[in-house]
Amino acid sequence: MIESSSDLRDTCAIVGIGNSRLGKVPGVSSLDLIVEAMRNAIDDSGLKLSDIDGILCRGPDEIYSHHQEVGGRLGINAKFSTTVTNGGASQILSVALAVMAIKHGLATTVICGYGRDAWSRTHANEEARVRNETRPPSQLPREFGPEYGYYSAAATHAFGATRHMHLYGTTKEHFGHIAVAFREHALRNPQAQMKKPLTMEEYHAQRSIVRPFGLYDCSLRSDAAGAVIVTSKARSKDLKQPPVIIKGFGTHNNTKGWFADDNMVVTAAKQSGERAYAMAGLGPKDVDTAQIYDCFTYMVLTQLEDYGFCKKGEGGDFVASGALRMSGVLPTNTSGGQLSEAHAEGVLQLVEGARQMRHTYPAHRQVKDAEIALISGHGGNQVCHSTLILGRA
Amino acid sequence: MSEVRKPLPRPAPESVPYWEAARHHRLEIPHCHACDGYWFPPSRSCPHCMSADVGFKQVSGRGKVFSFVMYDRVYHPAFAEEVPYVVALVELEEGPRLISNIVGIRPDDVRCDMPVSVVFDDVAEGVSVPKFKPV
Repeated sequence: MIESSSDLRDTCAIVGIGNSRLGKVPGVSSLDLIVEAMRNAIDDSGLKLSDIDGILCRGPDEIYSHHQEVGGRLGINAKFSTTVTNGGASQILSVALAVMAIKHGLATTVICGYGRDAWSRTHANEEARVRNETRPPSQLPREFGPEYGYYSAAATHAFGATRHMHLYGTTKEHFGHIAVAFREHALRNPQAQMKKPLTMEEYHAQRSIVRPFGLYDCSLRSDAAGAVIVTSKARSKDLKQPPVIIKGFGTHNNTKGWFADDNMVVTAAKQSGERAYAMAGLGPKDVDTAQIYDCFTYMVLTQLEDYGFCKKGEGGDFVASGALRMSGVLPTNTSGGQLSEAHAEGVLQLVEGARQMRHTYPAHRQVKDAEIALISGHGGNQVCHSTLILGRA
Repeated sequence: MSEVRKPLPRPAPESVPYWEAARHHRLEIPHCHACDGYWFPPSRSCPHCMSADVGFKQVSGRGKVFSFVMYDRVYHPAFAEEVPYVVALVELEEGPRLISNIVGIRPDDVRCDMPVSVVFDDVAEGVSVPKFKPV
């Protein structure tokens, strides 16, 4: 039985949305990228900078007290600010913390965001390109990994993919349906990093990275940032944009570890999603579009199961049915996702989910008649999860 | 040009007994005197019962492949000659799971739930690394 925090339902709204330039943005730091996204979100909202009294954000891990650097560059003080360090689950967690802070009077208007320079730092020189590592050296494993040639987040997630394939008969073809659908969405998005179509034949002919994953199973290295502004529903009514209502959120962190229990095949999306559905008073059948944390194709498949869009083990058939396409039953990662738009640790999924709820996209990008969006965040050492459910005012 | 060497483990303080046992070709993992539980990686508090009455105990070295991945891309130049190679999550009979390599088998023949047992690879003077082979 999941306890519901339904007193937070429909109390706050997203009133500003912004992103930075995406993809290859050489010569711009991650901090300048996040400030670029935040400036765009503030412009979008019609708020004045002085209206912002909270900052919840994240950037590369070696930046100490990241939120202070962001506040300094914005030129504001904050009633409530901190750096959220749950990896790719941080961005939705920031919105959840903003709602709680606003509800309890710690702040009135909170800007949330994330920015990184992952393309630039993995292409600085040949050694950086080979290592393909975005973490600072102090965070890299010292034992139980490097001596075995165990490197990369791709490998860690690939363990889950192998196990899922073993248990449920999931195939590479299933993963391919995810990569192909998201690429098709990216082609509708002029800002997306990937510009060329991807066919299933090209997917199968891809270069292998760490089996079962090949190149197109892996998300992009991007210089990218995104931001949203959260305020109370009452304040949201007089602002420039149609407010996007925060209907529910939930978190769950399998802190015993990705390698413990069945965590690599039943992720914390399950409990996180149940809590978000309970707060919103909704279920998977009510969701019109999903923006799923797609660091790797397999992670989309398992989360779709864990969120109840299909049964555990049936994610392969679900994605093969065309469900994730714009014309499907659950248009998913409609901006192209981290696989084909740009990878900014989930903040662009938040940005896209909120934009879908405004109904201001041209028809070819808008999920028709979408009233409810579900957004997921996944990260840390693969075990932190957060879920956000958005709706229209 | 000097040969690029594979990284050696750089043990945390709580892992030193594990690597010392491995050096003598014994697989010893953390064990709780209070609840008889095992766990991995090493820490000085039992994650089953919170007891601090813990030590290391030799285990069977038998287990199964819980899951695995196969590297085709080279992330570290010392592994350039090894690809394709298998990194596996081995579940020991005693319960804990640990990262290792599967050796003595063609990489394409490795399967989940395949039974394996420990072997030791003497990678440098005074350093041996536990690996696993099919039984």
